Amino acid sequence: MSADKKEEAGPPVLTLRVQTPRGLWSMDEPKDADKRPQYAISTKIQQVINDARSVFKFVEEDSKYTLLLGKEVLVPERPLASYHLPDGTLLILSVQGGNA
Amino acid sequence: MSVSSDISLEAVRAELPVAARYAAAAGLTLDASALSADSLRFYVTFENRDGERFFAEFDCRDYPLYPPTVEFVSEDRGERGTLRLYPQGFHTTPCVCTRYNRKAYQERGGPHGDWRLLDWRLPTGQGVGIDTLALMVSDLDAKIRQSSGRMG
Repeated sequence: MSADKKEEAGPPVLTLRVQTPRGLWSMDEPKDADKRPQYAISTKIQQVINDARSVFKFVEEDSKYTLLLGKEVLVPERPLASYHLPDGTLLILSVQGGNA
Repeated sequence: MSVSSDISLEAVRAELPVAARYAAAAGLTLDASALSADSLRFYVTFENRDGERFFAEFDCRDYPLYPPTVEFVSEDRGERGTLRLYPQGFHTTPCVCTRYNRKAYQERGGPHGDWRLLDWRLPTGQGVGIDTLALMVSDLDAKIRQSSGRMG
């Protein structure tokens, strides 16, 4: 492939699925989502967390939101590419409330 | 005031699919096989950071007017509420000290005389209100996953 064609193709893109406690975020769920979990692999994990929160209206700033791959906590500052995720990977948005 | 068991069953059944999908994605086992109007209970198995397993019972009598009673039980469910069944990090009563646990309220023998059962959907401390079964599973999983050891 020529350099020109590489440029035309743009950066590699990854399609994810994110299970949240309010439902699954995917390319077709929820129906009324204003964004979809499709990202350039250079995107930071924090952006995925922010978008999943936005779609499911987790607006509270004081809660702890974490993105998990199975039992592994994904580091917000790292790019998606650093985890070598295959297309269609299921991630989990963990939501933690406060303690008394 | 109480809720008919049929209504509670309907409410739990309406919420369980999302809770079950969340639990499955998070690698947790959710067992609602014995759920009925006569037994409004389901169970979730959690793991702490050392891989120790903890078995939580959600007793949903009077749900959704009141929150479930969340209690740790033994794997065979023959023992309940003892210190050794609890992960570290919760109130040493022992009790999951959150508004979504009926056991935490003083009127149910818990430590919180400053909470009203009818307000159970309010946030505990600050942050998001844990007001669905799936959010309860997420919250407990997050807390237990970070903990190490047992209370007793």
